[in-house]
Amino acid sequence: MSGSRLTIGEGEPLAAKCQTEIEVKHGVGLHARPSVTFTRLAKSFPCSIEVAVNGSDIWLNGKSIIKIMGARIRKGSILRIRADGILAEEAIRALKELIERNFDEDKKHGRTA
Amino acid sequence: MKIRSMAEPLKLQATGASPGIASGQVYLAERSALVSMPVAPGASGPGTLADAVETAIAALQHLADRVDGESRDIIDFQIEVLRDPTIAEMTEKRVSAGEHTVFAWVAAIDAHIAELEDADEEEVRARAVDILDIKNRVLGNLSGTPVEDFPAGSIFVGKDIEPSRFLGHDWSRGGGIVLFGGSASGHVALLARAKFIPMVVGCGRFDVATDSQVRIDGDAGTVFLDTQAEGISSAPARGQSRTDAAAINHGKLQTSDGVPILLSINVNDPWEIASIDAATAAGIGLLRSEFAVRSLADTANEDKQFQIYRRALEWAGGKPVTIRMLDIGGDKPLAGLEDDSGAMGMRGIRLLLARPEIARVQVRALLRAAPFGNLRVLLPMVTFPSEIDDMRRIFAEETGLLLRRKIAHRLPQIGMMVEVPAAALMLDTFDNAEFFSFGTNDLAQYLAASARDGSDLSAYRDKAAPAVVRLITQAMTLAAGKPVSICGDMAGDPSALPALLAAGLRHFSVAPAQRPAIGSALVGLNADGTRAAGD
Repeated sequence: MSGSRLTIGEGEPLAAKCQTEIEVKHGVGLHARPSVTFTRLAKSFPCSIEVAVNGSDIWLNGKSIIKIMGARIRKGSILRIRADGILAEEAIRALKELIERNFDEDKKHGRTA
Repeated sequence: MKIRSMAEPLKLQATGASPGIASGQVYLAERSALVSMPVAPGASGPGTLADAVETAIAALQHLADRVDGESRDIIDFQIEVLRDPTIAEMTEKRVSAGEHTVFAWVAAIDAHIAELEDADEEEVRARAVDILDIKNRVLGNLSGTPVEDFPAGSIFVGKDIEPSRFLGHDWSRGGGIVLFGGSASGHVALLARAKFIPMVVGCGRFDVATDSQVRIDGDAGTVFLDTQAEGISSAPARGQSRTDAAAINHGKLQTSDGVPILLSINVNDPWEIASIDAATAAGIGLLRSEFAVRSLADTANEDKQFQIYRRALEWAGGKPVTIRMLDIGGDKPLAGLEDDSGAMGMRGIRLLLARPEIARVQVRALLRAAPFGNLRVLLPMVTFPSEIDDMRRIFAEETGLLLRRKIAHRLPQIGMMVEVPAAALMLDTFDNAEFFSFGTNDLAQYLAASARDGSDLSAYRDKAAPAVVRLITQAMTLAAGKPVSICGDMAGDPSALPALLAAGLRHFSVAPAQRPAIGSALVGLNADGTRAAGD
């Protein structure tokens, strides 16, 4: 799990820009359920959250289920996640941990698609 | 006029718009019809769509609480799509470009459905259905706000009554309509005649208590107030007492001298066909889709329209079903569409081409329904051949999209209403129309320069009948042998039949209620319109 965190501090402890990079290591990719888990968590933060896949310079809205599902995130994909605004650091930390926990898929039953 | 309780019932003489006698308790409509349309102007702005989305989310959450596993995953996904900020942004962008909110949202959702359908993985493609489901759920919420209905069996009294209100009402217990204004050739009058609902129009404003009794005579055009005080017994409502004299074999008749004639029916309310025996008609000569698709939300609802059209095609069992594309505007406004400018303005195909987002939804529904029978699509208010070219282009584009999405469809025959005098005079220039249908109500109003929604001018339109017949006779010679029919009120008037036969018409389409009488009249005439010998 590779991760790098870059904080452009503004002196403001809450409002900030923050970015990380992480590899998706699990086969589930980001289909319906993991995508829902991801965007719901993203939406719980007031800052903007954007995602770029495999070095792409197209940043997608991380709170948008249709963007996240359309991003074709697969096992081995490298995700860059960036946040801007209030609670940006917390958002990045939480989303990174969610991916590291395999989107909490192991705790759930049923469909894995 | 001020009316009080008097010793004898007060009689108002007005104009009969639909025959029959009805009596019952008055239901006094407070406001003008257009104010109380189901979707009030502006109601389809962002607020209302947002409400419909929130209602859908609440219903889905309620469902989600009671299921688990896979079902719950699907519902969670659907809720997340309804809350998707990208869809909200796409909708806003389209709205600021001038699109209607509902259509803008549908277009954003549709774009996402198409994206999913294009995915490589089966699991992703399968999600398209989930989104289609929420689209229909939201549209259902939008159209699920009907105007206040009035009690079954009562007599509606008001300035006007909107078609959606008429169609949404339960008429099974009788009742009738009295309008202060209105017109016998207006669209609600047409609906009332088709359904045997007595109706009187143009009585002027009068005061009447909501719970008082009233009796109306749609033949004589009279209204009796306070009938209970006098104890006037109500005559039984007129039923289908006419004998079906013509031996009608799937609407195939012969004139007295043996010339084949087709008799089809006009359909306003697609539910009404369920009670009609398909063997009595040569098919549906005119399905007025604007009465089936009653709200702006319905015009955006492809699936609902598809189901309606499919039902009509299945009912007809292979016989032609002519569905006229939405003829909104003029005296059939659709609330929420502000670009309506009267009978000579933005209506029919003009409105459809100016609002292609409305046309495209209907075109897709028609293309998908076509494989279920013999569909013919009729374009309303055509003035120039270029309008048909433009609509054909939309059909071609939507065909391409359905093909790409591997959705079953078929291109139907496309024809035109002949109801604008300029089109009737130039009928030989319409190479791109596969069939013609005369709309005599509009032809009469345009020829006699007297709007059909004004009751004062009905005499002008009646007197213009010979001019209408002359125009039809001339247009028949320009039709180049293509199928021609007539679906206007004139076809349902037995006294007009000789002239129409003489003009060369062989296919008539009338309201189901008029079919037996018109059938009987036709078999008693020769093809040249003369009365059969010995008749």
